[in-house]
Amino acid sequence: MAGVVGFQRWVRALTRARVAGMPALLSASRAASGPSKGMLPGPYPNTPEERAAAAKKYNMRVEDYEPHPDNGEGFGDYPKLPDRSQHERDPWYSWDHPDLRRNWGEPMHWNFDMFIRNRVDTSPTVVPWHTACKHLFGFIGFMLFMFYVGEQFPAYQAVGPKQYPYNNLYLERGGDPDKQPEEVKNYEI
Amino acid sequence: MGAHLARRYITETDTEPDPKKKFEFGPQVGLPDRNEREMVATQEQMNLAQLPVEQRDYCAHHLLKLMKCKRDNWPAFLSCKHERHDWDYCQNQDYLMRMKEYERERRLQLRKKRLAVQPEAA
Repeated sequence: MAGVVGFQRWVRALTRARVAGMPALLSASRAASGPSKGMLPGPYPNTPEERAAAAKKYNMRVEDYEPHPDNGEGFGDYPKLPDRSQHERDPWYSWDHPDLRRNWGEPMHWNFDMFIRNRVDTSPTVVPWHTACKHLFGFIGFMLFMFYVGEQFPAYQAVGPKQYPYNNLYLERGGDPDKQPEEVKNYEI
Repeated sequence: MGAHLARRYITETDTEPDPKKKFEFGPQVGLPDRNEREMVATQEQMNLAQLPVEQRDYCAHHLLKLMKCKRDNWPAFLSCKHERHDWDYCQNQDYLMRMKEYERERRLQLRKKRLAVQPEAA
């Protein structure tokens, strides 16, 4: 009941702004808790001054700052940081956020939420990647080859087939009782 | 133990018998006086005991005796050693017969090869 009243008051406040249609329902003022206009990402920087301003905005050195290529994907002036996950950062350094291994104000990677320590890990492998691949696929290939060889040359016991009575259990195996089965005689040896 | 595999795949690939294929020589070749194997348990008895198909072999009468002994003596599960030994011995003899059949087939194949070579040599 209180929620409905609050909603009605919100609608009345918006309509008092005398703007027609859909924009009346979208508030034009932002909450004060968010970033100020100067801190938000902007359009792609074309001149060196714009690049310097963008680097300063993101707390980066001008030499380090590299925006994403301007090919219509919509990154604007957001910096292109190397695709390294948080696993590769020094675990013993006293970060401001130890879990995220990040300091306050540091520029965040576009896919930062992917590179946290619970998710994608880009740290180098113990063994070089191509060596590890060679070992794994070599082993799997060898095992498949050996299984194939085992199919072609199976190991078996040097015994003849087991002998069953009553014409090789013709009736017990579902043979037609009216038909005459093939005669199977077994002898001792 | 395993010599047959070396024979089959390396040394005597043409004469060593293949257990998956039917044996070539009939039961009477070279053994004119062979006794037929006796089946003691009847089909009706095996049906009443509800034996699985794999166990309805030439040792089934021992197995039926063993099952009866176990049922009569339960819960004294150690009381049927004699019957169990009879069944096991019968199964062992059956396996030995299978081994002898294989060996017989192998020797007949070697003999066939020897005879095929002789008229050419002669």
